[in-house]
Amino acid sequence: MKILVCIKQVPHQDARLDVNGAGTWIQEENIKFEINPYDQNALEAALQLKDKDAGSEVVVVSIGPERVTQSLRTALGMGADRAVHVKDAAADGSDSLGTAKILAAVAKAENPDLVFAGFMSDDGNLAATGPMLATLLGIPHTTTAVSFEKNGAIKVERELEGGALEVVELHTPCLITTQTGMNQVRYASLKGIMAAKKKPIDVKTVADLGLAGQVGAAAAKVKVEKLYTPPKGQGAEILSGSVDEVVGKLVGKIKELGLL
Amino acid sequence: MGSILVVAEIQKGKIREASYELVSFARKIGAATNREVKSLVMGQGTAGLAEELAKKGGGEVFSADDAALANYNLDAAFAAVKAAITAASADVILLSNTPTGWDLAPRVAAALDAGFAPDCFNVEVEGGELVFFRRFFNGKLDARLRPTALPLVATMQPGATAAFEGAADGKVTPLAVSIGACGTKFIEVKVAGAKGVDLTKADIIVSGGRSLGGPEKFQEVIKPLADALGGAMGASRPVVDAGWLPHEYQVGSSGQVVSPKLYVACGISGAIQHLVGMKASNFIIAINKDADAPIFEVANVGVVGDLFEVVPKLTAAVKAAKG
Repeated sequence: MKILVCIKQVPHQDARLDVNGAGTWIQEENIKFEINPYDQNALEAALQLKDKDAGSEVVVVSIGPERVTQSLRTALGMGADRAVHVKDAAADGSDSLGTAKILAAVAKAENPDLVFAGFMSDDGNLAATGPMLATLLGIPHTTTAVSFEKNGAIKVERELEGGALEVVELHTPCLITTQTGMNQVRYASLKGIMAAKKKPIDVKTVADLGLAGQVGAAAAKVKVEKLYTPPKGQGAEILSGSVDEVVGKLVGKIKELGLL
Repeated sequence: MGSILVVAEIQKGKIREASYELVSFARKIGAATNREVKSLVMGQGTAGLAEELAKKGGGEVFSADDAALANYNLDAAFAAVKAAITAASADVILLSNTPTGWDLAPRVAAALDAGFAPDCFNVEVEGGELVFFRRFFNGKLDARLRPTALPLVATMQPGATAAFEGAADGKVTPLAVSIGACGTKFIEVKVAGAKGVDLTKADIIVSGGRSLGGPEKFQEVIKPLADALGGAMGASRPVVDAGWLPHEYQVGSSGQVVSPKLYVACGISGAIQHLVGMKASNFIIAINKDADAPIFEVANVGVVGDLFEVVPKLTAAVKAAKG
């Protein structure tokens, strides 16, 4: 079985977020990046399938600048077989649909049986790419998988609200978006990292994929016009003083509530 | 000019509150852009609910009543939405950002080759054009999104505006939907079982986040304060994802939605999905190192500091106060 995993490199969850000069995205210089947490679960799900069936091939695909190479190497170190890196400034500023079109062009060339993608990215939180990719490929999808089982048919538990789960059955070829907590993500072993150095990363441009002029900022149907720090509402009364003084004030508040 | 289509959802045999919120948004932008509001109700045996929505602001309500729509099914729902878009000549399609919305809406957008504005908390009309507002980076930054073309598909955050009330100006139009073979099959919904921990009944909840650093810290730092206050212990999603505590401790939209008399958030930055689960609490104390953490926006009282210093001292002070 051939499995394609879509991964995005996003700012590390503890990275400092400052809006850039143009006010359209964050300042990306000097911050740490990581593989989107949701995509780590997607990759782990694919690797678990490969663990059971050594004949499977896991291909990871990512879009982004040179720094993305690091995340692809990590994915290869964890056990993916090879990577496709769409590295082209012409892809910058793509909206969800543009991103899905790029991934669809890669997926059509790869022709996978199964596609995994994270439910959303930790930066945009749009949760759009996976289902859009499935739509463009004309294959079924399901979202927010917290479990995955394949015995001929695929059975997925998808997360609903308030802890409820929906059990959905589907067949390959299909796409599944993964929720965090779906599995415990493995680390790349030293041996894996060494082996990854020899694994291929196929670098592609937008033109290579036949999408010149169809993706990127100019083709975006929805633009991020402005990114800004949320206006502060009334917010919390911030208690000041030493730790002891602050604790004293907290106890006072709890007493006022009649809970002490 | 196209119409605005509200894709309503049915939950527990009723039109979902969030769908009436969509009606509010739709009527607001409809009035400002001279667009008619129309709606879709899909399900089985749901014609009565379509009538109800038509009487309560849904405008012309297309009623797709079909056995294949009894439970949520991606292809069946997609077929109904597509038929409704055509019947309504809609160029703005609104869904709620719910499990149905996030499964279905991007598929609709991609199939229409349309722009997509998901999980928005507001939409405004500026100079005749739509501008959507949403959060990025788990609530740390906000953004204005501007569609550059129509049609446009958007999903709105449940609770982002008041549900529409009143108005009886609609009608119901039955909508025939041709539903072919479906790529996904609904098997069942597993409702969260009655577990040992029912946080919804607790008067006081002390919750911890990822910055606790490990499961033992919950026992050493969070639980003693919860015990001293006579309350329950809770957690944010990353804690449960990491396996530090079972899912039943999770407060948030995908865990338990709580409204205790007192909620103490320790080392929780306040991702949207957590805030949704606890912002209705009567009184919220937040303790966090990061003064910019979104949790301070919903808290009544905040302490900018190290929870490992503050919480143990608070526990001791609570014990002392109780004598």
